Amino acid sequence: MEIKSVKKVNLTNKNVLDHYDLTDTNDKIHHVPLDPNNSDYQLILAWVADGNTIAEAD
Amino acid sequence: MALSKISNDMFTTISSSSSKPIIINGDQSVSQRTTSVSASDGVYCTDRIKHTLSNDGAATITQESLSSGNAFTDGFANALKIDVTTADGSLSAAQKYHFRYNIEGQDIQHIKKGTASAEKLTLAFWVKATKTGTNIVRCYTADSDRSCSVAYTVSSSDTWEKKILNFPADTAGTVIADDNTVGMTFTWALAGGSNFSSGTLATAWASNTSANDFVGQVNNLDSTSNNFHITGIQLEIGEFSSTSIPPFQHESYGDNFTRCLRYYQDDALYSNSGDTAIMEGLLTNDGGNFRHLWKQFIVPMRAAPTIASVNWRDDTGSSTDASTQQGSQLVTYLTADVYGRGNVGSGDSDTNSIYFHGATYSAEL
Repeated sequence: MEIKSVKKVNLTNKNVLDHYDLTDTNDKIHHVPLDPNNSDYQLILAWVADGNTIAEAD
Repeated sequence: MALSKISNDMFTTISSSSSKPIIINGDQSVSQRTTSVSASDGVYCTDRIKHTLSNDGAATITQESLSSGNAFTDGFANALKIDVTTADGSLSAAQKYHFRYNIEGQDIQHIKKGTASAEKLTLAFWVKATKTGTNIVRCYTADSDRSCSVAYTVSSSDTWEKKILNFPADTAGTVIADDNTVGMTFTWALAGGSNFSSGTLATAWASNTSANDFVGQVNNLDSTSNNFHITGIQLEIGEFSSTSIPPFQHESYGDNFTRCLRYYQDDALYSNSGDTAIMEGLLTNDGGNFRHLWKQFIVPMRAAPTIASVNWRDDTGSSTDASTQQGSQLVTYLTADVYGRGNVGSGDSDTNSIYFHGATYSAEL
């Protein structure tokens, strides 16, 4: 999967980070949990390490 | 049969096999996501096989039904096929086409890697390729960043050949962590640039050096006439030859499918309207506050899954796929743990209820 963008998603009406929404290069959205053993979460960490930035929640 | 007639060799063979094959879906019979997809980095076709690539060519990956050839006559009805549709005859240094199989660390403890009692490994598979010549499979252990590569030769073009690859025991490095993360990875190369091939092939276990991984690998991407097929992937503990390797341990489709569900589940295709609608959850409106998902996975997943292709509708009958309707969707977020327990968020402020009909769940390594 190739990442286009990543955005934080908070619990509704709460300022608590729930997961990341990853948009791939086909514009498909993947709800990625904050689980270090999830391979997409690991992909996001590597994407950030490459200098990319996760967008803040709405 | 009298016990006195059972040879010691039979006991040896039985004791070397676990109750289930180490490689899941080695016969390529399960392909939950799709049976045909354009090759792209990170894509899956048949379950458990991840394709990693970066090149100027293009290929189509399919789950292929077999009806003839040596693999078919050996009992394999399906294979993974990679069909080159745009050639790349001149790879730059970092370009490649690989596919790989990851094994959880807790499923490979019995090889005792990193100890004085470490076991040798034998990897067997059927392969058919248009391009003849040398191909490479690399075994890699992430915990100690060590690898060992074994070459094999495709002798005859477009002919099924069974390959038996022997990997030495690795008594050095750290032991593989006994957990649900990647413990061991087998990577097959179809092509690779100089970053992966400019050194000396690492035929003994050593700290990983990318330039030593796939030295001598032919370029299977250099013509649109080229196809690469594989099936019957089998990993055995110990050193075996073509005459001594145990038979491929065929599982029922149901058993194989159930094992695949630990890594990927898909119920997004359930209808969300009409008489065939299947509802998995109901979110009653409470002004947009979050609700809990109470779906229960058929099999607990390896890790909390990534969720996509969410299928839902509200009680006015409108429906959409949240993956393409971000911003206007009613279900604003959806997470689940390994059992399916999690949170569903709704930004819907009207009085309608929201019905959850399914999604895809991925916990691949």
